[in-house]
Amino acid sequence: MAYLTQPDYVRYICTCGQLKPITSLYFCRHCLKIRCGFCICHEVDSHYCPNCLENMPSSEARLKKNRCSSCFDCPSCYHTLSTRASLVQPRQQEGAGDGKVENKHQKKMYYLACFNCRWTSRDVGIPDQPVASGGWPERPNPFATQINQLLEYYKAIALQEKQEKIEKERKKFAIRGKYLTLTDKTGLTGAMARNIAGLPSSDSGSSSIIAKFVPSQASAEVEELPEDYFTKEVNLNQITSMPQRLLSPEWQPTDVSRLHPIAKLLSVKRSQRCRECDHNLTKPEYNPGSIKFKIELLAFYHIPEVKIISYEPMKAGENSTVLLKLSNPTAHEMTLCLMNPEDIPQVDNEEEQLENSLEKSLTLDKESAACKPAAAPAWRRAAAPCVRAVGPPVRVSVPQRDDAAEYDDDATHDANDVIVWRKANKLGVRLQVATEAAASRGGAALLALALQYSYRNTVPPAANAPNQRNHILYTTALLSLGNVA
Amino acid sequence: MELQDTYYNKSEYVETASGNKVSRQTVLCGSQNIVLHGKVIVQSDAIIRGDLANVKTGRFCIISKGSVIRPPFKKFSKGVAFFPLQMGDHVFVGENTVVNAAVVGSYVYIGKNVVIGRRCVLKDCCMIEDNSVLPAETIVPSFARYSGSPAHLITTLPEAMPDLMTEFTKSYYQHFLPTTA
Repeated sequence: MAYLTQPDYVRYICTCGQLKPITSLYFCRHCLKIRCGFCICHEVDSHYCPNCLENMPSSEARLKKNRCSSCFDCPSCYHTLSTRASLVQPRQQEGAGDGKVENKHQKKMYYLACFNCRWTSRDVGIPDQPVASGGWPERPNPFATQINQLLEYYKAIALQEKQEKIEKERKKFAIRGKYLTLTDKTGLTGAMARNIAGLPSSDSGSSSIIAKFVPSQASAEVEELPEDYFTKEVNLNQITSMPQRLLSPEWQPTDVSRLHPIAKLLSVKRSQRCRECDHNLTKPEYNPGSIKFKIELLAFYHIPEVKIISYEPMKAGENSTVLLKLSNPTAHEMTLCLMNPEDIPQVDNEEEQLENSLEKSLTLDKESAACKPAAAPAWRRAAAPCVRAVGPPVRVSVPQRDDAAEYDDDATHDANDVIVWRKANKLGVRLQVATEAAASRGGAALLALALQYSYRNTVPPAANAPNQRNHILYTTALLSLGNVA
Repeated sequence: MELQDTYYNKSEYVETASGNKVSRQTVLCGSQNIVLHGKVIVQSDAIIRGDLANVKTGRFCIISKGSVIRPPFKKFSKGVAFFPLQMGDHVFVGENTVVNAAVVGSYVYIGKNVVIGRRCVLKDCCMIEDNSVLPAETIVPSFARYSGSPAHLITTLPEAMPDLMTEFTKSYYQHFLPTTA
């Protein structure tokens, strides 16, 4: 929970070089690598309305511009609108409250109201509806014809270009030889062949659309401002704010009286996929109300978690002690070794790792080639750790996670220099660290800590793959230990 | 950072057989309508209005100091009716927060100084940040983090939210200790 309410004290270094708290990292069981939101593929599984929690097929969602058809947002304060019922009598004035005694002649009518800012659909003259949900009039887009025309034009252009490309390809390969072609033999004309292949005929439709298209013209003449524009007193209560206008880009109402309810935007359930091996990392259940996952390969369940219990103030050039809590979230016993990042043995395919990292794909080739000799990991540029672990590497064994362990007795206290206490799959560790003498006072005291851990792979191996189940993996975490005193 | 121990005065709190720890300095109206499902902490000056309708909480809920749990009402043509308030497991309610929701799911974190309007529905795994106001009849979807007044979605929550909340409420319960003195 601390991960959500407190700053990120412990950040892990993702394979792509990003610094992330363990909760926003994933662990691919097939590549045995840490992944973060920047270096995986996000896929939309299903669309649903966050208000009515109703699923919407993606084709329908596209048709409705990713908006729910029955839920609306307030155009004034952006909060969700609620449906209110009112009883309307033929001769009675509008606005009869809920508290009216029911009458045979009364009819229930519904309107939309915002419980936050008290805006109602009646304010702008939208007639009440006889049904509780849906049926609200849709406003036609004033530029609908123009947009459709543009869409058609660009579709035609795309089609034409595609056709030209196909034509070119065909010309390249069609060598008129001594053999009869299908068209010669059967008397099939080019137009018929196109028809059979499902391609539009070469010189109809699309070209006429392109020919007929009239591009819009910019004109220097603008409508004059009304006479009283500078003299009339402005009532700011009647004028909409910028965000209110931009919420409905088609209309951009300038007057409060022209605000209309805004159909609620849909949310998505998404699954995430490793970019390297294409295996799913997370896959939620289909039901929008469900919080369960079919596949959930989070770093939180696979790599050892480091938490800071307490630390002494860091002084430049001096040693201090840090108390850490290590936990093993896996179902197998884990041997853990805390060391300095330099001690991680260099892996042969590190080059390849960098190749695939987002960091690299974002930067220009030239630039990355220039910074390659330095070979500094990407995170070094963002953070310079000035604290390092001293003494022999701390090597501990952490038992597996056991759900029944919470009923066990209290923590056992070891009379050990390193291990302070043990409890189920967690243990407290005392770590000696040294701050660099050159560390500037008041600067952030960052401790870079490499973790070597044993990992039991539970994925059934492929038939031809070597059956290797136990791995030694490395990860690096950056711990914020306040400021250098 | 690891949670620190919080100490309470042993004479101030009543501990039930199911592990509920309820302060004596609370206002529990209509206690026959209040069900605390075990290992629930109700801290001092909290108010639970069981006299209006049933209030049910799950296991490992934390109701902090000065918060108000009050079943919501709805106006009908023939008067007003109160609805029961249900709360799932592993729910944290911060200090000086007013909860008028109809349903609070499991693994929900509600910050301090928050007002949850009447008949709101908080789905499982959501979070309302400190000092937010959730207007009446709002539905907060799963894995949403709401903030502001009126509260609106600002970001999503990590997939491990159920485990984070479970760990948080359990360790809060374990670190909520009587003073040894």
